[in-house]
Amino acid sequence: MLLGVDVGGTFTDAVLVAEDGRSYSAKAPSTPGAQHEGVMAAVKAVLERAGAEAREIGRFAHGMTVATNALLEGKGAKTALIATGGFTDIVELGRQTRPSLYRLCEEGPQPLVPPERRFGASERTGPEGPLEPLDEEATATLLEHLASTEPEAVAVALLHSYAHPANERRIGELLAKRLPQLHVSLSHELVGTFREYERTATTEVDAALSPLLGTYLNQLGAQATAAGLPAVQVMQSSGGLTDSGHAGTHAALTVLSGPAGGVGGALLLSAEADEADVLCFDMGGTSCDVCLIDGGRVAETAQRAVAGRPLALPALDIHTVGAGGGSIAWRDPGGALRVGPESAGADPGPACYGRGGQRATVTDANMVLGRLLADAPLGGTPTGTLFGAHPQGHKQAGGVRLDRDAAERAVGVLADELGLQRTACAEGIVRVAETEMRRALAVMTVERGIDPRRFALMPFGGAGPLHAASIAMELGIGKVLCPRACGVLSALGLAAAAPRRDTARTVMLSGAALTGERVQRELDALVERVVGELDVPVERIDARYELRYEGQSFELSVEAEIDEAEIDDLRQAFEDAHEQRYGYRDENAGVELVSIRVSALGTRPALALDGAAHESPQTESTQVVFDGQSTQAELWRGELAPGTRLQGPALCSMPESTLLVPPGWEGTVDEHGTVVLEHFA
Amino acid sequence: MSALDPIELQVIVGALRAACEEMGAALVRSAHSVNIKERRDASTALFDKNGQMVMQAEHIPVHLGSMPAAVAAVLDQDHRPGVSWVLNDPFEGGTHLPDITVVTPVFAHTPEGAQRADAHARMGHPFVDDILPLPNDPPGALIGFAASRAHHADVGGTVPGSMPADSRTLAEEGVVIPPRELTGETIEELVRQMRQPNERRADLKAQLAANRIGAQRLVKLAQRTSGEQLEAAMDEVLDYAERRTRACIGALGEGVREAEDVLEAPAGDLTLRLKATVEEERLVLDFTGSADQHEGNLNCPLAVTRSACWFAVRVLTDPDIPSSAGAYRPVEVIVPEGSLLNARAGAAVAAGNVESSSRVADLVLKAFGCALGQGTMNNLTLGNDAFTYYETLGGGQGACADADGPSGVHVAMSNTLNTPIEALERELPLRVSKYALRRGSGGAGEHRGGEGVVRELEALTDMTFSLIAERRRHAPPGAHGGHPGSPGCDTLIASNGHARGLPAKVTGTLRSGERLRIETPGGGGYGSPPEHFESPNDSGDGS
Repeated sequence: MLLGVDVGGTFTDAVLVAEDGRSYSAKAPSTPGAQHEGVMAAVKAVLERAGAEAREIGRFAHGMTVATNALLEGKGAKTALIATGGFTDIVELGRQTRPSLYRLCEEGPQPLVPPERRFGASERTGPEGPLEPLDEEATATLLEHLASTEPEAVAVALLHSYAHPANERRIGELLAKRLPQLHVSLSHELVGTFREYERTATTEVDAALSPLLGTYLNQLGAQATAAGLPAVQVMQSSGGLTDSGHAGTHAALTVLSGPAGGVGGALLLSAEADEADVLCFDMGGTSCDVCLIDGGRVAETAQRAVAGRPLALPALDIHTVGAGGGSIAWRDPGGALRVGPESAGADPGPACYGRGGQRATVTDANMVLGRLLADAPLGGTPTGTLFGAHPQGHKQAGGVRLDRDAAERAVGVLADELGLQRTACAEGIVRVAETEMRRALAVMTVERGIDPRRFALMPFGGAGPLHAASIAMELGIGKVLCPRACGVLSALGLAAAAPRRDTARTVMLSGAALTGERVQRELDALVERVVGELDVPVERIDARYELRYEGQSFELSVEAEIDEAEIDDLRQAFEDAHEQRYGYRDENAGVELVSIRVSALGTRPALALDGAAHESPQTESTQVVFDGQSTQAELWRGELAPGTRLQGPALCSMPESTLLVPPGWEGTVDEHGTVVLEHFA
Repeated sequence: MSALDPIELQVIVGALRAACEEMGAALVRSAHSVNIKERRDASTALFDKNGQMVMQAEHIPVHLGSMPAAVAAVLDQDHRPGVSWVLNDPFEGGTHLPDITVVTPVFAHTPEGAQRADAHARMGHPFVDDILPLPNDPPGALIGFAASRAHHADVGGTVPGSMPADSRTLAEEGVVIPPRELTGETIEELVRQMRQPNERRADLKAQLAANRIGAQRLVKLAQRTSGEQLEAAMDEVLDYAERRTRACIGALGEGVREAEDVLEAPAGDLTLRLKATVEEERLVLDFTGSADQHEGNLNCPLAVTRSACWFAVRVLTDPDIPSSAGAYRPVEVIVPEGSLLNARAGAAVAAGNVESSSRVADLVLKAFGCALGQGTMNNLTLGNDAFTYYETLGGGQGACADADGPSGVHVAMSNTLNTPIEALERELPLRVSKYALRRGSGGAGEHRGGEGVVRELEALTDMTFSLIAERRRHAPPGAHGGHPGSPGCDTLIASNGHARGLPAKVTGTLRSGERLRIETPGGGGYGSPPEHFESPNDSGDGS
């Protein structure tokens, strides 16, 4: 059996997938500060639900937010930094830009290491190698000063160490000798690519977070062992798993652990729906995550930033905007209707939650329009089976009915301010919110030269399916896939994930130096390293080459088979990618291979999900507002059986979310229970 | 109340903003030069058919108010579909010569054209082209303009990088392009006169590509509603921005405020004066009494002065207000012709755009009681026959009433990225010897001014250098009892260690082994410093 446990802001989700394909899910309240308690509670609940024993579990995969939260709060271990002398402020100088053009005193992210714990090493390395050797005597003195500041972790990042790591490595050895109890992060080992600020900042984050993450994983590991569970595997930002020992000493690899699980789930469900090109958006209470599945793959990037800090490590390319069901609608001083970025969050939440929220949110607007029922679920049932026979009807979160009167009051107040009718105001809130989400989807597609129209749109999260058809229309997309029960998507993605190790190196090869032989040699060294580190059998090796035209300062990443590192193929692949993204190729320009990234992947567990509902519920009728008109719509409650046909206008109040089928759309339920909507008008 | 309802208004604002952002993304991504790609020294905007700017993607403030001048310069031309315009003449729509603007008129689609485009799209044609007017379509009505401006790394002239520190006429600064049609031949003719013609050609094509995307989005918006409705919507977007700006100006409080500051010309200080009047939700910025245009290149065309004023107004009002012509309607800028801030055609302007503009913004902020930032971009150009390299350096921001000033950032009209040392040392015959905060340079105060930066570059081969900087003789002032920041300071260090101070504006030779050390100014403090405060060490970075 495969176990996946994902820690979210409110709930910790556990999914258990049995050998026969049956899956079980459970939720437990998250326990911030001691996440492992919530994790163990969710595991216990899902085992009970499945009637299984801990010893039957073959693998325990875990996605968590320990590193993310520490970073967002700027909390970490007491850390010191060793940089090349004369350059210790690089972490503070950043790229010299200010975060806001006109709010002049708004600060960018402050370095995690204060100036008094930054130390300049007596050495200098240039692009071609050492210019001044490491002064061992001066370094010994430096380490004494460093020791006197009593740090818990040290980051070492010297100029040009991505190409010439000797001095950095030597400092690592001296640190291990002088201060063996400290965690040490070395920039060439962790990052391996050029651009000193990004590499140093990433190394600093790694050093500051690793002690915290290590402690957490040790605590969880001890409890898991005591409970008879297998060792914990941790989800990395790259979408692959690693053992907890490696994660605990390389925390920067896990900063986007949580969202990576969700993408894994999206990949699994899109593959199940037999769709290779899918634009996914996961709309929760406060934010909306967008990712692109193109040809069955999710793009990766090494240029993510979290809380304004760059992370130069492989991460799935996910774009997040602050627009969700809880986004608050307001009238700005110029009289325009605005939605967000302020959110009512989970507490008090939208007015209709009845927990004291007074201001109209997107969720309230949907309620006023008849698009959310009073007994609609808010992000999943406390416990239940994910797949297989689902009980008819379901409990709503916390057992609270949504309060339609409260939603109408809140929207009414705003409508009066704007001089609009209440339903017009509610429709406006939804339209403005959808405009924001369209922008987020455009960032991942149109702005990169990718035509969104060849993709199917797949909504997730409690609020996604309500807006999917309308956003699809905005983007010219004619197909929407709404998978069954997507509330525990991340945990499901964890259960299905493969183990993975990554490494990268800036090689900067061009002209005569760029030969197949040379590339192969660099590649072999990287492959040897990752294969050695991955402690399970290697199923696949992926190589990504980051190339640019000479003189450019942006690289494009292209994939190629490792035994075909033919230079002409590489150039061809790069030029194709360049043309797609930037609209032109330059046959006369030289091509430069900047960096090589290699991943080793272990086996992905076979996971055949089974058990759609056998019979659809009886339809009822409800009133939904479209274009200012209250319209009679079909209402489906509960899970839909394969073969069921839907005709817009219709509303499907499903176990995990509500799907809106506007007029002009029709749908069928496929064999896996996914609702496939198509636009016909 | 407006003709457009509050929902449609916000939807249109969102759509226009998204269109400008897509233009910007296309420009930055398809340009070849570092300046545009990495430093994002570029802007994109959409205009209505009367040449009023309805939205701008804000990459860099120095282009803010000067884009409308470019469209105004070609507005009365006979526009035809597919014919774009190019210009850089500072006295006919431009700012300084490296900033080249491309303006593309946008025509509404005819229903037949739209249908055909749609059919093309269904057959799988790339979406980027599917709504461009097809060659044989009858042109629809003019509905607006798409414009893009980019700082080109070189436009010819006497020195590589086209930013001579000592130019006296515009012609010395590069190729002057009065508004003209941008055809394939024009591109070839222009790039032949510039250094790195291949890069220039690619960057101009990137600007055309960006405009094409803007045009498509505007056509699509017009299709979704109708040409007339789009026009009404654009009017409302402008009125909306005006309403919000007026409310914010009113909140500044009525009255007359004055400020005075100087520019550090080689021959001596040039005084700038401002009288700022707030009355009935209008702001009048009158620079009468400022120095006359001078022999050097600190002169500003009026478009640059306006840009700087509008930047300051955005800081003083609400940056959430969409950047459009409407936002600037309640602001009047008065500068007599022949003034340094409204120079006559032909004057040298290289430093006006990058340096004088900062001081204009400073004057406005100072009049309203702000502590000032470094007030310069510290423009450094290095080069020889084999390469040209241009960089600008951050410094200290002035402190605010509620916060310290950030350190080592671009403070006003610029916000461009630095070049990574590891990239610079690989590609150019330069070694960076030091890059650090200049500790102690920020002015003391209840809130401290930000720290300046120290950057030291060593030449690995002989090259010329050209430095254009300000705030070397006069420190950035604090406000309400806050101390001034330290002025900047530049040094040339010979191979034998002998150091020689440099003036604020200088062109010279840097021999192999010589180093150039630039120390940028700290920001002014805000409010009186705590009692036991020790005076900052003004002598440098303490190294």
